[in-house]
Amino acid sequence: MAESCRNEEIGLLLPWLANGRLQPPDRIRVEAHVRECEHCARDASVQRLMCDALTEPDRVSYAPGPSFRKLMSRIDGRSPAPREERRTSRLRAFPIAAHAAWRPPGLAWAVSFLLVTGFAAIAATTYHWSQPRYTTHFAPAHVTPNVVHIAFVPSVSVGETEALLRSAGARVVEGPDATGVFGVSPASTAGTSTAQASAQLRALAARLHTDARVRWVEPLSADASVETPER
Amino acid sequence: MTEPTYRGPAGVAREVDLIARVAEGDRKAFEELYHLYHRRMSRFLTRLTRRYDLAEEVINDTFWIVWRKAHTFRGESQPSTWILGIAYRKARNAFRASARLAEKNLQVHELPLTTEEPAGVEELRDWLGRALAQLPVEQRLAVELCYELGHSCEEIAAIMDCPVNTVKTRLFHARAKLQKLLPQLANPVSTLERARAGGQE
Repeated sequence: MAESCRNEEIGLLLPWLANGRLQPPDRIRVEAHVRECEHCARDASVQRLMCDALTEPDRVSYAPGPSFRKLMSRIDGRSPAPREERRTSRLRAFPIAAHAAWRPPGLAWAVSFLLVTGFAAIAATTYHWSQPRYTTHFAPAHVTPNVVHIAFVPSVSVGETEALLRSAGARVVEGPDATGVFGVSPASTAGTSTAQASAQLRALAARLHTDARVRWVEPLSADASVETPER
Repeated sequence: MTEPTYRGPAGVAREVDLIARVAEGDRKAFEELYHLYHRRMSRFLTRLTRRYDLAEEVINDTFWIVWRKAHTFRGESQPSTWILGIAYRKARNAFRASARLAEKNLQVHELPLTTEEPAGVEELRDWLGRALAQLPVEQRLAVELCYELGHSCEEIAAIMDCPVNTVKTRLFHARAKLQKLLPQLANPVSTLERARAGGQE
């Protein structure tokens, strides 16, 4: 038996020596090698044998006519959905695959509906959370009955604030919050009616508003609305 | 119908002309081109897919593309490289789909290993066909394009859209596997002589 050849490059080119498609420089080199190498000579014979076997005239005679007519009818649009037809015919040929490909249409619709609903909900939630959430003291949710909201100028000390509120007859009932806003109400509202309490609140807001150290006063209650333009 | 055969530069020029006419909607040219390629493609596609209907389908899918895209053919490659490149992609997809289904539904016919000599070229071809069926699809296509359709390494690389060295490697592995499956190929001279003698009987 011939020893194996170490010239791998030549070995890779042998199929094209056999089919006659090797370009002259390579062909001359490979032919020269094959003449001297028993292993490659044997391999080249195998390649020629395969070429001969595979290019022998076929026993089956193909009749392209019907296929061509089928193709032309597709081109002319007489077979509008060839792909679907093909898929169906393939599935018919393989019943197990056809079974695997079948899905109940109702269930498919239900799943689609759930998916769409889910995506819509996610999209709405995402949009909601992506929006900046502003809160304002003008918002009705922050209305506290019988409370005046007040902000002082930043330079006013805690002691001055207390003294100012005391002299105005107010007491702190809320705050200060993160923005330095206090909620204050008249110092004594015990035993007063709603109308009296409202009047007291308006009077308190007016008193506070006159002080230069008060930045703004906001009576949020509709009953106690006082015009307090921001300074 | 006598099959037209075009070989060499004249054949290539003829095919280029046919494609140019197809691009203008010439149905006669299209039919001629179809007939020209039908036999070539039928043989190797039938051997590849082992189903006539699938081979037929791949051919028609290929020529459907040829009809629609003929105007894009610029002659930068040979017409056969262009057409077989389309056929290769169609065949590969069809083959994979078919193989997946066949795995699920059909028994795979294993090649019975034999040390007997083939009685003739036809029998050898049958054996080769069955041995080829056991190769991976890329290797099988490379074998068909090289041995049967006689394409150069560069043409096969263009058809299969891969580097030249990949084609060489695919064929190298295919050859090694075929020789394992068909031990009689190890003695090609006696096999060839017997096969030819059988063919003459």
